[in-house]
Amino acid sequence: MENKDQDPFGMMAMVNAWLKPMGELWEDMAKRSDSARKPPESQTKNSGKAPPNVQASLVAALKNCQAMASAMATPESVNAILKGSGEMPEVLLKLFQSYLGSYMQVQQNLINSIGRLGASVEAYRFEDIDENLCRLWTDIYEGEFRRYFQIPQLGLLRSYQEKANQLADQYNLLQAQLAEFLRMLSLPFSHAMQVMQEKLGELAEKGELSDDTHEYYNLWIKVLEGHFMTLFQTPEYVEALNRTVNALADFTAARDAVAEDLLSLVPVARKSEVDDMAREIFELKKRLKKIEKDNNRG
Amino acid sequence: MSQVKIPVDLILSKMADNAEKVQSRAHKASEVLLGELDTDLAKTPYDVVYREDRVQLKHYRPRTKIRYRTPLLVVYALINRETMLDLQPGRSVVERFLDAGIDLYMIDWGYPTRKDRFLGFDEHINGYMDDIVDLIRERNETDKINLMGICMGGTFSVIYSALHPEKIKNLVTTVTPTNFDTKKGLLHVWMEHIDVDRVVDTFGNLPADMMNFGFLLLNPARLMIDKYVGFMENIDNKQFVENFVRMDKWIFDSPDLPGEVFRQFVKDCYQGNKLLKNQLEVGGQRVDLNRLTMPLLNIYGKYDHLVPPEACEKLIDHVGSKDTENLCLNTGHIGIYVSSKYQEAFAPKIASWLKARDGMPERKPRSIKTAATSSAAVVQPISSKKKASGKRSRNTTEEDAFQVEPASDAKAMGNAR
Repeated sequence: MENKDQDPFGMMAMVNAWLKPMGELWEDMAKRSDSARKPPESQTKNSGKAPPNVQASLVAALKNCQAMASAMATPESVNAILKGSGEMPEVLLKLFQSYLGSYMQVQQNLINSIGRLGASVEAYRFEDIDENLCRLWTDIYEGEFRRYFQIPQLGLLRSYQEKANQLADQYNLLQAQLAEFLRMLSLPFSHAMQVMQEKLGELAEKGELSDDTHEYYNLWIKVLEGHFMTLFQTPEYVEALNRTVNALADFTAARDAVAEDLLSLVPVARKSEVDDMAREIFELKKRLKKIEKDNNRG
Repeated sequence: MSQVKIPVDLILSKMADNAEKVQSRAHKASEVLLGELDTDLAKTPYDVVYREDRVQLKHYRPRTKIRYRTPLLVVYALINRETMLDLQPGRSVVERFLDAGIDLYMIDWGYPTRKDRFLGFDEHINGYMDDIVDLIRERNETDKINLMGICMGGTFSVIYSALHPEKIKNLVTTVTPTNFDTKKGLLHVWMEHIDVDRVVDTFGNLPADMMNFGFLLLNPARLMIDKYVGFMENIDNKQFVENFVRMDKWIFDSPDLPGEVFRQFVKDCYQGNKLLKNQLEVGGQRVDLNRLTMPLLNIYGKYDHLVPPEACEKLIDHVGSKDTENLCLNTGHIGIYVSSKYQEAFAPKIASWLKARDGMPERKPRSIKTAATSSAAVVQPISSKKKASGKRSRNTTEEDAFQVEPASDAKAMGNAR
């Protein structure tokens, strides 16, 4: 009998109503299973009293389940659950808003990029290179996805899991950074191609097109070189280059940390151990040389 | 809109001609590439007279009578290899020096491994370099030697000469960065904000591949596209292919750069510009350029995209020497050493400058294994503008610097210059 004060919402009744047929079902299934596996009667004459293992563990599990349901049915627990579920839509809304914001940003940038297409290329100018989608993706990754790799890990394997997460995170950042860097390196090609088209158009109009393909190549490579030289001097490029180098360094450090963990399982010296040894030798040699020089002077 | 005129017929006929040429070139190319190619570098004979860790000292066997009192030590950079000075017979700065009668030593820095990551300026300059200088002084029974530095090796040579001026008679710096406060070279722009600690702490040494990629990025249009287009266009020319492969071998034969050297070079030089300010410290000693009192010849390239003239030319204004000369050549960073035109003049210029300050030799070489032949590079000393007293400082262009007699026996030696 359920006490109304203890179970104001009738949760126990519901759970018991569900548990009873479920218990019967599993008990029946276990019996069938046991009978199917039962050896000939002659072999089990003296061993039939104890309940079969499966049935016993099932009964125990059902009891545990009932106890848990009973605990969950208390007013405090139900209130806590209801409070949590009340907050769920708010959390989901926040998440949705955040992703929608990112998505809209991408859309906006795409529209901007498309808007710029077809605009005449002014030679050796790269003002728009900061507005690129790769950088935007990196920002979104850093703002939205990265935190999932930074969820605190617990337990015995915590440090290993943290290093693995760190590696995945740094790998993603490196990929994003490389994409941005390569995109930047591709800019001079597209600019040079557009300049070439314009120049060829002018030459064609004047009727001065050459029949020597080398001339076109030489013109293209000169224009391309000029665009690269201009790009390389821009603060945006220097910044992207530094970010790429840093991302590569961070990824390498994360990879080394995981590799060192793996190496600890096999009888091989780790990089950090070799470094320690090298430093010791370096310092010893330095001291030895100093002593040698002092001795020679003396 | 006016009628567009495109000579389609001419373009098509040219393309047809080109297709035939390409076919014939491909046939010849297969013969060249499948045949024997001589692509070895650094063939001039030498003996290794010193070895410590990865570092060794090459002493080149004299090809003629030694005409200088003082031996010359060449210090190459830790980036790339010193083999650039001896690319091939007939195209070798080393040969030129030997033919001028210089007793020549050169440091081979070897290939740093992870254990070398802690070696900084001090270990290279006060360690290896000082040991080597002492060894040469002892071998040649002389108090001082002549020192020539190339690129970063030049910076090391300047630092060494300021720390140990008593051991250096004449100093020659070539394409040597000493002023890092300039935005002219891309390296200067890129190095300004690099997080060098993060790179060195992670990688230990600066990986050669990373460095090479960086150098390729200095001019991708030429170094990654045009260069190989040129190769394909000349792939049927055996001599061109041999030279190209040799050069390509040299370019990508890059040792890693010891981490601490990189850290110090970026922080103290590129980011701090401490050398010219006399603020650089090496091994606990301050590097004071006023102590650099020996004659100084400073050579650099007008079109050098790695070490622009602005990074080199100020040195002579900051040293204590009264005998200094800046020489700007109309070429790039590597062209000074490898282009036939500049080899014709660059090494003889150094030889003549040294000769004017080093007099005639008093001693014969210890051993001459090959019969002495007449020198290919006959050097005529540059007309001196030396004053009786006071500072002799000059800025010279290549037009007034190169007064070199044509090498009359160059053809006889089979030199392709």
